[in-house]
Amino acid sequence: MPEANVLPDATTTDGALLVLAIVSPAAGVLLSFVLGGQYAERIAAVLLPSGLFLASIIFVDVWRSGDRLIYIVGDWTPPLGIALRADGLSAAMMMTMAIVICAVAIFALADFGTRAGSAEARAPFAFWILLMAIWGAMNMVFLGGDLFTLYVAIELLTFAAVPLVCLDGRAETLQAALRYLLFALLGSILYLVGTALLYGSYATLDIVLLSRRIHMEPATLVAAALMTIGLFAKTALFPLHLWLPPAHAGAPAAASAVLSAVVVKGSFFIVVRLWFDVMPGMLGPAGAQLFGGLGAAAIVFGSVVALQQQRLKLLIAYSTVAQIGYLFLMFPLALDTVSAELQSSGALTGGMLQAISHATAKAAMFMAAGIIYAVLGHDRIAELGGVARAIPMTIFAFALGGVSLIGLPPSGGFLAKWLLLEAAVATGQWWWAIVMLAGGLFTSGYMFIVLSRAVAPSGEPLKPRVAVPRYQEAAALALALTSLLLGLVAFGPVDILQAGRLESMLVGPR
Amino acid sequence: MNAATLFGLSGAALVGIGLYGFVTNPEPLRKILAFNLLGSGVFLVFGVVSRRAAASGLGGDPVPQAMVITAIVVAFAATAMAIALVLRLLQETGRSTLGADSPGDTDRVSGNS
Amino acid sequence: MIGESTLLASAFVVPLGMLLACLWPQARNRMPSLLAFAPFPALAAVLLVASDSSLAIGSTRLRLTFAMDRPGAMLLGVSALLWIASGAYASQYLQGRPNHAQFVVCWLMTLTGCVGVFLAADMVGFYFLLALLTLGATGLIIHHETRSAWRAGAVYIGLALLAETLLLMAFVLLAAQIPGDSLLIRDAAAVLSASPQRNLILVLLIAGLGMKAGLVPFHFWMPLAYSAAPTPASAVLSGAVVKASILGMIRFFPLETALPDWGTALAATGGFAALYGVVIGITQRNPRVVLAYSSVSQMGFIVAIIGMGMLAGDGRAALAAAFYAAHHVLVKGALFLSVGVIAATGSRLLWPMLLPPAIIAVGLGGLPLTGGALAKFVADELLGDGTASTIATLSAVGTTLLMLQFLRSLANTASQDPQATPAVGLVWPWLATAAVSLVVPWTLYLTVPAGTLPDPLSPAVLWKALWPVLLGAALAVPLWRWWRWLPRIPKGDIVVALDGGMRMAVTWGKALERLDCVLRQWPTAGASLLVLTIALGAAVLAR
Repeated sequence: MPEANVLPDATTTDGALLVLAIVSPAAGVLLSFVLGGQYAERIAAVLLPSGLFLASIIFVDVWRSGDRLIYIVGDWTPPLGIALRADGLSAAMMMTMAIVICAVAIFALADFGTRAGSAEARAPFAFWILLMAIWGAMNMVFLGGDLFTLYVAIELLTFAAVPLVCLDGRAETLQAALRYLLFALLGSILYLVGTALLYGSYATLDIVLLSRRIHMEPATLVAAALMTIGLFAKTALFPLHLWLPPAHAGAPAAASAVLSAVVVKGSFFIVVRLWFDVMPGMLGPAGAQLFGGLGAAAIVFGSVVALQQQRLKLLIAYSTVAQIGYLFLMFPLALDTVSAELQSSGALTGGMLQAISHATAKAAMFMAAGIIYAVLGHDRIAELGGVARAIPMTIFAFALGGVSLIGLPPSGGFLAKWLLLEAAVATGQWWWAIVMLAGGLFTSGYMFIVLSRAVAPSGEPLKPRVAVPRYQEAAALALALTSLLLGLVAFGPVDILQAGRLESMLVGPR
Repeated sequence: MNAATLFGLSGAALVGIGLYGFVTNPEPLRKILAFNLLGSGVFLVFGVVSRRAAASGLGGDPVPQAMVITAIVVAFAATAMAIALVLRLLQETGRSTLGADSPGDTDRVSGNS
Repeated sequence: MIGESTLLASAFVVPLGMLLACLWPQARNRMPSLLAFAPFPALAAVLLVASDSSLAIGSTRLRLTFAMDRPGAMLLGVSALLWIASGAYASQYLQGRPNHAQFVVCWLMTLTGCVGVFLAADMVGFYFLLALLTLGATGLIIHHETRSAWRAGAVYIGLALLAETLLLMAFVLLAAQIPGDSLLIRDAAAVLSASPQRNLILVLLIAGLGMKAGLVPFHFWMPLAYSAAPTPASAVLSGAVVKASILGMIRFFPLETALPDWGTALAATGGFAALYGVVIGITQRNPRVVLAYSSVSQMGFIVAIIGMGMLAGDGRAALAAAFYAAHHVLVKGALFLSVGVIAATGSRLLWPMLLPPAIIAVGLGGLPLTGGALAKFVADELLGDGTASTIATLSAVGTTLLMLQFLRSLANTASQDPQATPAVGLVWPWLATAAVSLVVPWTLYLTVPAGTLPDPLSPAVLWKALWPVLLGAALAVPLWRWWRWLPRIPKGDIVVALDGGMRMAVTWGKALERLDCVLRQWPTAGASLLVLTIALGAAVLAR
C-alpha cells in the first residue's frame, strides 16, 4: 500500500481505542489515589482484564486489516501534534504484555491482596498502583508515534519499575532500587540529548516524518549513538547490566516477574522502533555487527555467570541478562546485504518472537521461584531437594519455561531460534548461529542443575512453610504453557516459519 | 561566536562535568546532584534548538520549549524519587551508599517479601 | 484413505493422550498396568497401513507430515513389539517400587517420541519428537536417583542436546537449500548431495546422529546410561530408542548417489566402532555394561552398512541397515530383560533360564538359523569381499566372544537364594521377546522383497556363518583363562576425559564471574557506556 505513505496520517476507525489503552491505566492510578488503598486492588481487578480485552480488540483489528490503527491526538497532525500508531509489532507486544500482567496480577493476589475490612497497607497499595502504571507506560511505549512521547513513556516506566524493586523496604533492595534508578536516569538523559539533536536537525520527532527526512550527518550520527546506548543501559544489555541482577533478584516474586518480563522489553522496543522504523538505512554493517557482538557477549557472559549462581532468583536474573542478548542478534541478521538496510524480514519476526516468548517464560519462572521461596523459606539451589514432590505443578511450570528458553519445539523459543538461524544461513553469518546454538546449550546446563536438585529427594520430608494457593501455581503454569505453545502460531493461516511474514505483513507501510 | 554557539558550548560543558561526576562519585547524593547538572546542560541544548527557529522570524520554536518543560518536570520527579530512596536508605542503615558492587552482598538478599 | 491416516495418527496420538492423561492422579496410578497397550496402535498401523501413505497436520504453508516408508515401518513394527513386551515387564517391575508417576510419564514421553520419530517425514517434526524422546529417556535413566544414575543422566542429556543442536543447524542449512516451502526429509535428502554446503551439512548430520547412535567416539554415554536405567527402560533404550538415529541416517543420507569419500569415512568409523566395542566390552564384568558395549559394536556395524551404501551409491543399504537394526532391536531388548530376570533367579532354575539368552546372544554373533545369521547374511551383500567383509567377520568372532562374556557375567549375577524364582509377570514378556526375536527376522525376510539373494539355507552360507561363531567360542577359553590380566577399564572408558574438561570449564567459569564483578562496578560501567557510545558512533560512521 504505497499510497499510504503519501497520504497524511489520519485517525482510523477504532483509533480511539489506542487512547483508551493509555488513558484507562492512568485513570486507574489516579482513582486509586483518590479512593485509597483498599480500592486499588479492586480497581486493578476491573481494569487489567478490560485492558487485556482492549489489547485483543486492537490485535484483531490490526491482524484483520493488515494495516495500522492511527489516532491523531486533538486532530493536530504531526509535526505539531502527536500521533498514536499501532502496527503489528505494537499489537503483538501489547497483547503479550497484557497477558503477562494479568497473570502476574492473579499471582499477586496472594501476596498483595487485601482482606475485606483490613486497614490500608503500604506495599499492596503501591503494588497495584505501580502495576497499572507499568501497564499504561508500556502501552504508551508501544503506541507512541514520536520520539519524545517515547521518552516520557520510558521515564514513566522507570518510575513505576524502581519502587517495585524495594516494595519490602529492606536496605539491600533499597540499594538495588537506587542503583537501578541512577543508572536508568543516565540512560534516559542520553536519550533526551539525542531527541534534542534530532529535533534541532529535522524540526520533527514524529517517527514517520523523521524516517522520510533523516539522512546521514554528524548531528544525526551523534544523536543515534547517544539514544541507542542510553536505551541499552535501560535494557541492561551487557556490559551495562550492573543494576539488573540485584534488582530482579531482590524484588518480590510478582515484581520480579514484571520487571524481567515486561519492563526491559520497553526500552528494547524503542531500540527496534529507532533502527527499524526511523532510520533503517543508517546502521550499516559495522553497527549491526556491534549490536550482535554485544548480544553475543551477553549470551555467553550471562549464561556462564548464571551457571555459577548459588541462588535461584539470581540465576534467573542472570538468565535474563543472557536472553536479552538474543534480542540484539536480530539486528545483524535483519540487515540486507545488498541495500545495507534493516529489513522487516524473518529475523525481525524471530527477534520479536524471542522477546514475546522470553516475556511469558521468564515471568512464569520468576513466579515459580517465588512459590519455591515461599515454600522453603530460601532459594538456595543446593538445598532445593524434595521441592518437586511438594509442589510438582510449580516445578513443572519452571521446567516448561526452561524448555522455551532452551528453544525446544514446540515452544516460541524454538520458532524464534529457527527464524534467526534461517536468517543467519541466508546472510552467511554463521558466527551468530554458533552463538545462538551455544547459548541454548548453556541454558540447558543451568536448567538441568536446577531441575536435578529440585527433583532429587530430600533428607527429611519437606514441610511447606505456607500453603501455596492453587491459583498462584495455575498462573505460573498458564504462562509457561503459553510460552510453550507459542510455536504453534506457525500453524496459523499466516505463515511465519517459511516466509516469516507475520510481523512484516502486519507492520504497516513505512 | 554567536549566542547560540555560546549556549551550546555551555550546555556541552555542563553535560561533561555532570557526566564525570555521575560516573566517578560513589556518593548517591553527589550522583543525584551530578545528574541535575547533566540535565541542566541538556535543557540548555534544547533552548539552543528552540532559539534556532528564531531565524524564521519567530521568537522561538514552541515545540522544544514544551519539551524542555516536560523534561524538567521529569528530571524533578526523578530527583525527588532518588532523594526519597536515599533518605529511606539512611533511615534503614544509617549510611547512604550504593553498597559493594560485588555480588557477595547479594547473598544476603533474601529475594522475597 | 481416512482410515489409514487415522490409524497413522493414532500410533503417536494414543501414547500422547496417555501422557496427557497422567495430569490426573487417578489416571497416573492406573497407568503402569496400561503401559503395554500404548504401542498397539503403532503395531496396527504397521500391519494395516499401506506403505507410502502419509498424514499432514497444519496449514498449507507449514505442516507436520507423518508417513510410513519401508525402513520406518520395519523398525516401527519391531520396536512396537519390544515396547509392548517391555511395557508388560515394566508393569510387574514397578510393583512395590516408589516413584511410579515419574517412570510412567517418562516412559510415555519416550514412547511418543520414539514412535513419532519413526513416522516423522519432515524435519521440524523429527526434531521435535527427537527432543521429546531425549527428555523422556533422561528421565528414565535417572529414575533410580543414585549418584551414578544422575551422572549418566547428565552425560546423556548433555550429549543428546549437543547432538540436537548440531542437527538443528543441519536442518536449517538444508531448509535453506530446498526450493520452495517444503521441509520434508525426502526433499532434504534429495538436495543434499548437490548442495554447496554438502560437507558441512554431512559433518553436522553425522556428528549429531552419531552422538545419538553411540558411534565411537561418542559412545561413552551408552555404558553409563544402560547400567543406570531400570531394566525395562534399558531394554527399550538400547533396543528401540537408539534406532531413531539409525533411521535418521537412512533418511537423510543420499544413499542413491555415490559419495565415495563420505561413504569410506562413515564405513571406516563404523567398522572401527564395531571392533572397539568388542575390545572394551570383554574387559567388563557388569552384564549391562557388556551389553552396552555390544550395542556400541552393533551400532557401529549398522553405520558401516550405511557407509558402504553411500560409498557405492547403493540404495539397498537402507533396507539392509533397517533389517539389521530391526533384528538388533529385539535381541538387545530380550537380553536386557534377561538381566532382570536372571537377577531374580536362584541357582536351582539358573541353567534352564540361561538357555534362551544363550541362544539369542550367540545368535547375535551369527549362529546359523537365528535372526542374527540372517541379518549378517543380508548385510553381506553390501559389504563386498574387501576390507569391509574382513571387518564383518572379525566383528562376528568378536561379538560371539563378547556375548559369551555377557553370559558368564550374567550367570554371576543370579540371586543368592537358590530357591528364588522370578515373578511370572517378568518371565513371560521376556520369553515372548526372545521368541519374537527368533521368528520375526525370518518373517521380515520372507515378506519384504530384498532383491535376489542366494538361499540363506544353503550349506556354504551356513558354514560361512558358523565358523566365526566357533572361532569366537574357542577364543573364549583362553580369554577366561587369562581374564584377570586384562586391564580394568572404567565403564564409559573415555568419559574420564570429561572430568578434566569439567574442571577446566569451572576454572573458566570462575574467571568470567570475576570479570563480571569488575564490569558491574560503577566506574567500569560508566566507562563502558562512554566507550560503547563512541564505538557505535564510529561503527555507524564507518558503515
